[in-house]
Amino acid sequence: MSDDDDSFRSGSGMDEEDDDFMDEDDDEDYGFAGAEEVPKVPYKVLSKEDLDAARRRALREVMSVLEVPEDVAVRVLRKYKWDVSRVQEEWFAKYDQVRESLGVIDEEPTPSGRDQEHCLICFESYPLCEMRAAACKHFFCKECWRGYISNALASGMACLDLRCPSTECKRKACVPSSLVMELASPEEQAKYAAYMIRSYVEDNASMAWCTGKNCENAIECLIDRGPNEPMDVICTCSTTFCFNCKEEAHRPVSCETVKKWIQKNSAESENMNWILANTKPCPKCSRPIEKNQGCMHMTCSQCRFEFCWLCQGDWKEHGERTGGFYACNRFETAKKKGEYDDEARRRDNAKASLERYMHFFERFDAHSKAREKARVDAGKVSKDWLEQLADITKTPTSQLKFINEAWNQIVECRRQLKWTYAYGYYAFDNADRDNDVARQKFFFEFLQGDAERSLERLHEAAEKDLGMHVTRARNQAEPFDVEAFQTFRKNLIGLTDVTAGFFNKLVKQLEKGFGNMEADYAGQVDEDPGPSTSADVVDVSKAGPSTGPAAAAKGRRTKKARGGEEDMEQVRVL
Amino acid sequence: MASKRIQKELQDLQKDPPTSCSAGPAGDDLFHWQATIMGPSDSPYAGGVFFVNIMFPPDYPFKPPKVTFQTKVYHPNVNSQGSICLDILKDQWSPALTISKVLLSICSLLTDPNPDDPLVPEIAHIYKTDRRRYEETAREWTRKWAMG
Repeated sequence: MSDDDDSFRSGSGMDEEDDDFMDEDDDEDYGFAGAEEVPKVPYKVLSKEDLDAARRRALREVMSVLEVPEDVAVRVLRKYKWDVSRVQEEWFAKYDQVRESLGVIDEEPTPSGRDQEHCLICFESYPLCEMRAAACKHFFCKECWRGYISNALASGMACLDLRCPSTECKRKACVPSSLVMELASPEEQAKYAAYMIRSYVEDNASMAWCTGKNCENAIECLIDRGPNEPMDVICTCSTTFCFNCKEEAHRPVSCETVKKWIQKNSAESENMNWILANTKPCPKCSRPIEKNQGCMHMTCSQCRFEFCWLCQGDWKEHGERTGGFYACNRFETAKKKGEYDDEARRRDNAKASLERYMHFFERFDAHSKAREKARVDAGKVSKDWLEQLADITKTPTSQLKFINEAWNQIVECRRQLKWTYAYGYYAFDNADRDNDVARQKFFFEFLQGDAERSLERLHEAAEKDLGMHVTRARNQAEPFDVEAFQTFRKNLIGLTDVTAGFFNKLVKQLEKGFGNMEADYAGQVDEDPGPSTSADVVDVSKAGPSTGPAAAAKGRRTKKARGGEEDMEQVRVL
Repeated sequence: MASKRIQKELQDLQKDPPTSCSAGPAGDDLFHWQATIMGPSDSPYAGGVFFVNIMFPPDYPFKPPKVTFQTKVYHPNVNSQGSICLDILKDQWSPALTISKVLLSICSLLTDPNPDDPLVPEIAHIYKTDRRRYEETAREWTRKWAMG
C-alpha cells in the first residue's frame, strides 16, 4: 500500500493528459489520486527522528536569538505553544514579565559562613555540598529533591515546569533540568526526555500525534488554519484522520457535524443494534442474506434475485439501461394525512424521526463497512493479485497501476460518501417546511446520487470484473483474453476518473454550502426547479434538455462526464 | 522518609504547640491523626471546637495530606462531608509545608471564607448577599455541633 499512499497525498501518480478530465475551476487538492499534478500538501509527516530534529531546531533558534540557556528556551517555548516568532516578540517586548512568569531569576549568592544547612522538607541538617538549590538558593537535601522530582515526574507533563518547593520562594524559581537529570533515576530521565518530545507535539498548535495504533509519527500542519477548520491528513502508516478534531477523516463535513453525529450514533446505538442486524432477508425469497462484498449490488445465492442492499429494491430499476431511477440516496418522509388522535400522531412523529435517523445511519453505516471491506480488498489486490496478473498477462506491474488507483478511489469515495449522510441528516432538517431548504436538499441529493451511482459502478467493476479476469488468468487451460482485459482496463480507468469528477463536485459544493446555490447558477437557467423534473434529472447519461438550477448543473456536469468517457478512450490506452 | 518526617512534625508540635490548635495520632497508626481547631474569636465560629481528621499518604510530604472536618461546619468552602476546598491541600501543596501550617491556614479560612471558589455555592451566595444571615446560621451550627 505504501506506494499508493503517495498518490493519495500528492496526486503525483497521474499522467499529464488526465487534466482533460478535471474541471476548469479545479484548483484544489482533494486528497486522492487524480486531483491535481502540483503537490500542494498542507502538512508533513514527521517520524520520531524528524520530530527530535525539528524540536532541536526550534530550541537552537530561540537559544541563539534570546541568548538564553536551553532550559529557559524550553520553558518560554512551552509558554507560547512552540511558536518561535511569537516567543521572540513577547520576550523582547515584555522581558521582565515573561521571565518572572517562568520563574527565571538571576542566581542568588550562596549563603556564606555556614557549611551546614537545614533541609526544609525532612528537617535534618546537612553539609552544604550534600544539598542542592535552584537559582533562588533555597537548599534541600538530595534525598528530598529526589522525592520531589520523582513525584512531579509521576504526575505528568507539568513536571517540565518544576518550581522550587520552598514556601519562602516568593518568585517561584524554576528548577533547572540539569538538577532534575542529576537526581532522577535512569527510567525517570527517559520519562523526562519523553515529556519534552510530547510537549513539542501536544503543546504545539501546528502539531498532532498520528492517531494510528502503535504509530509514533506526528503530523505538522504547514498552513495557517482557521479555528476548528477541519483538515484531513494521512500518515505514512496509512491512518487517515482529521487534524483538527482527531476523529477519522471526514472531509467535506465539518468537525461539529461529525461530533454531533458520533454522539447521536452512540446514543442511538442500542436502538440500532437490533434494528440493524447484520443480515437482511432477500426481498424475494426471504432467506437471510449477509453482505460479503463491498458494493450495494446484491445477488441472492439461492433465488438469484438481484437487488440493492440499501433499498432492497430490484437492481434492474437502478441501472441506466432501463432508464430507471436510482432513488437510494433519497428519503421521503412518509407523509400520512388523515384523522389522527394526538397520541397516534405523537407515536407517528417519534417513529418518523427514528425512521429518518435510521435511513441516514443505515447508509452511513453501509458505506462505512463497504469502505472497510474495500480497504482490505485493496490491500489484497495490490499484494497478491497484481503480481500474478502481471505474470500471466506479461505486463509490467507499473502498467497495472490503474487497478490500485481505482481501489484507492473507491476507499476514499466511500469515506466521503458516508460522511455526506451525516451532513444530510443535519443540513436539511426542515426541508418539509422551508421551500429553499427543500430545493437545496433536492440539489444535494442529486449530486450525492450522481456520486453514489458512479461509485457503485466503479466498485462493482473493480470487484467483480477484476475478479473474473483474475480467475480466468489463473485458469491456464484457455489462453488469456487480452482484448477483454484491455476493454476492462479502459472501462475501469474511465470509471475511476468519472467518479473522481462526481466526488470533486459534491465535495466542493458541500464545502461551499448550499446557501448561495441560486446565485451560483443564476444566469444559466430560468427559475423553475420544479420537482417534476426529478425523474429525468437523475439519469446522467441520458440527459435531455431540461430546466432548473439542478438541471443546469447537471447539464454542465453531464457534458464533462461524457467528455470524460470519450476522452478516456483516447487518453489511457497504452 | 514519610514516617520519619511525620515523627519530626509530631515532636515539633509537642515542643512548640500552636495557640489555637492541637494535633496527634488518633491511635497506633502514625499515618492517621486527629486534630482540633478552636473557632477563631473574630468569626462566627468562636467558642466552638472543631475536630479534624488527617490521613497521611505513603509518599508524604511529596503528596498532600487528606484533611477533613469531622465536626459539621457551616462554611462556603466546607461541604457536608467535611471536605475542605483549600489550595494548599491540592495543587498548591509544597513538601515544605507542615500540618501545623495547614491547620493555621484552615483557621484563617474560617475567619475569611473564599466565596469566589466555593465548595457549597448556596452558602457562598448567602455569604455574599446576606452576611448577617450567614453569620447567624454559622453561629447556630457552631452552638449545635461544636460546643459541649
